[in-house]
Amino acid sequence: MVDVANILINGVVISSLYALVAIGFTMIFGVGGTINLAHGAVITIGAFAAYYVTTAGFGIWAGVFAAIAVPALFSVLLYKGFAERRSDNVIVVMILTLLASIVVEEVIRIVEGSQPRAIPTLVAGNTEILGNAVQNNLLVAVVLSWVLIGGLFAFINYTSTGKAILATSMSPRGAALVGIESDRINLYTWAIAGVLAGLAGLFLGSYQTANWAMGREPLILSFSIVVLGGLGSIRGSLVAAYVIGFLEVITTSAIDPRLSGLAGLVILVLVLLVRPEGLFGRELAEA
Amino acid sequence: MADENLSGETVENPSATTDEPSLFASLLAPRYLVGLLGVVVFALLPFLGVSTTQLLVLIGALYFGLFAMSWDTVSGYTGEISFGHAIFFAVGGYTSALLNLGHGVPPTLSIPAGVVLAAVAGVLIGVPALRLRGPYLSLVTLVAPLILLQTFIVYGGIFGGELGLSSPASLVTADEFELVVVANYYIALGLFLAVMLALLLLMRSGLGSVLTAIREDEDAVAAAGLDVAKFKVFAFVLSAAVGGLAGAMFVHTPVGSPQPSQLLGLIVSIEVLIAAILGGMGTIVGAGLGGVFFYFTNDLLNQQDATIPLVDVGVNEASLLLFALLAMVIVYFLPQGIFPSAIRAGRRGLRRARGGETVATDGGRGPDEATEGSDATNPIEQTAERYRRALDALNDRFDGGENE
Repeated sequence: MVDVANILINGVVISSLYALVAIGFTMIFGVGGTINLAHGAVITIGAFAAYYVTTAGFGIWAGVFAAIAVPALFSVLLYKGFAERRSDNVIVVMILTLLASIVVEEVIRIVEGSQPRAIPTLVAGNTEILGNAVQNNLLVAVVLSWVLIGGLFAFINYTSTGKAILATSMSPRGAALVGIESDRINLYTWAIAGVLAGLAGLFLGSYQTANWAMGREPLILSFSIVVLGGLGSIRGSLVAAYVIGFLEVITTSAIDPRLSGLAGLVILVLVLLVRPEGLFGRELAEA
Repeated sequence: MADENLSGETVENPSATTDEPSLFASLLAPRYLVGLLGVVVFALLPFLGVSTTQLLVLIGALYFGLFAMSWDTVSGYTGEISFGHAIFFAVGGYTSALLNLGHGVPPTLSIPAGVVLAAVAGVLIGVPALRLRGPYLSLVTLVAPLILLQTFIVYGGIFGGELGLSSPASLVTADEFELVVVANYYIALGLFLAVMLALLLLMRSGLGSVLTAIREDEDAVAAAGLDVAKFKVFAFVLSAAVGGLAGAMFVHTPVGSPQPSQLLGLIVSIEVLIAAILGGMGTIVGAGLGGVFFYFTNDLLNQQDATIPLVDVGVNEASLLLFALLAMVIVYFLPQGIFPSAIRAGRRGLRRARGGETVATDGGRGPDEATEGSDATNPIEQTAERYRRALDALNDRFDGGENE
């Protein structure tokens, strides 16, 4: 018997974390036109920053701070080092970020080994929902994801910096003409993406576990998510994160756990064949 | 990336005009002589005291080089980066191995079957992904091998799961193992050289020019009335077939076996990318040599017991890290890769040694003083430069005529 409540709860938790990852990924693409293949490594860095700080005895809240600050810094460094310097060549940036993610993964694998590490939960205790005991920690994750995403929407739509980000994503040239510095806007985008992915890493590390290759699956699902949602569309990524997240949970828990990742690819190929601009994507000529 | 045509001397249209070197003379150009010397050294290796174990590694390295050339055919030329090329390596290898193990098909038939199936996989992945512009191919190819691996694990009974299959029949059999290895080595070397030559000829033909043009400016190619997607799909499927060939041959050697770690892992896709980058993207020869170098050096590093000072980490454990860092440095500072840079450095050195005699960089005309010392780096600029100088010379003549 398939446990519907369980699927529902797991689906919401996983989807809200995927949304954090995919939104950052799609923002970087939408604004700068770059594919950041080190985005998965940012997740891993977030998780391990939190792990190191908490195991060093600073408490989980210091860990949360680390999971925000370190990935954001790493993301900014990636931008400064690779994406900004080589902004004329998207392919080179893609290769460099891929290599950077390998470097991060390998360093963690060599230092930490392949043993999974558990990150302590933010809040203790369980709450009963639909007859299932759900960790309060996961509830925090879901709520935090929505608060962050809501905040991001508000930031983008109502502040001048946010509007500048939006303008740059719509037309870099037009934005430059009205005096928006694209380098600064890109920097903000990478920093925001780093924060969101780092926090996703923190919760993935306490929900599942943290290990050197933990960033791969969310990154790869992000591809399906952003293609389904429309490359560059934040709203699309949010919707698509829930679609892909739920499909993933349904296939793995109701059909076969070994099928993980398959739903994402099927969706990816279908979207490419039927509606390549995705649900909320702009015309492909723009992308 | 490799903006300049590296072909050096003309091979396609020899002696079109009198001042061009003949085909024979162009083959005597230094870089071809170095190439020939390399081939001779490779061919003589079994007689130069190279041990059987090292020959085995070289067999693997040659097939990996073949695989790297297949990656370069699509990614280096069209600029559509494939992040999951291992899928073709694996489809070729597994198809051949399964046919051989399960149905007793001899390698001579199962290898072509592997090539065909890899090409089919190329169509299945390439057509939906390449009809679109932008990074779609990269995204899809990064996911595809992971899904295939998942399928292999789910149907572990057929595909052997994460452990892989047992080794299929060897391509060559002999009483002495050493003889088998030497025979395999020559087959690998022959195939490597044959495919390299075939791909080079293809890429120096009109097809190569179209693909390079697509990399530089897709819109311009489309505006010229060419179907960009069709060319990209063709290059991709060709590349898939060559990758499948490399994989299928590899599993029938004593060194390769149908295992995910050798054929399909994410790492395999990334290794081939690093190898081609090290050698030089968009050059075929560079990618092939990069593949051979990478496989050989990686194997060498993996067998080291030494540790890296200060951090106390075994060299064998950190080999991928070291290569990733090296590739990063090269992409960053030497985006054309080592092979093209070496050719250019060699040319500069030669020019200096010969006292000003230049070697053509535009793949066509022989050197002339028109481009000497100018900044023109590509054929169009060089032609424009020559044209300008010719006009100037003409002007001078007319002016001179008036003065007389």
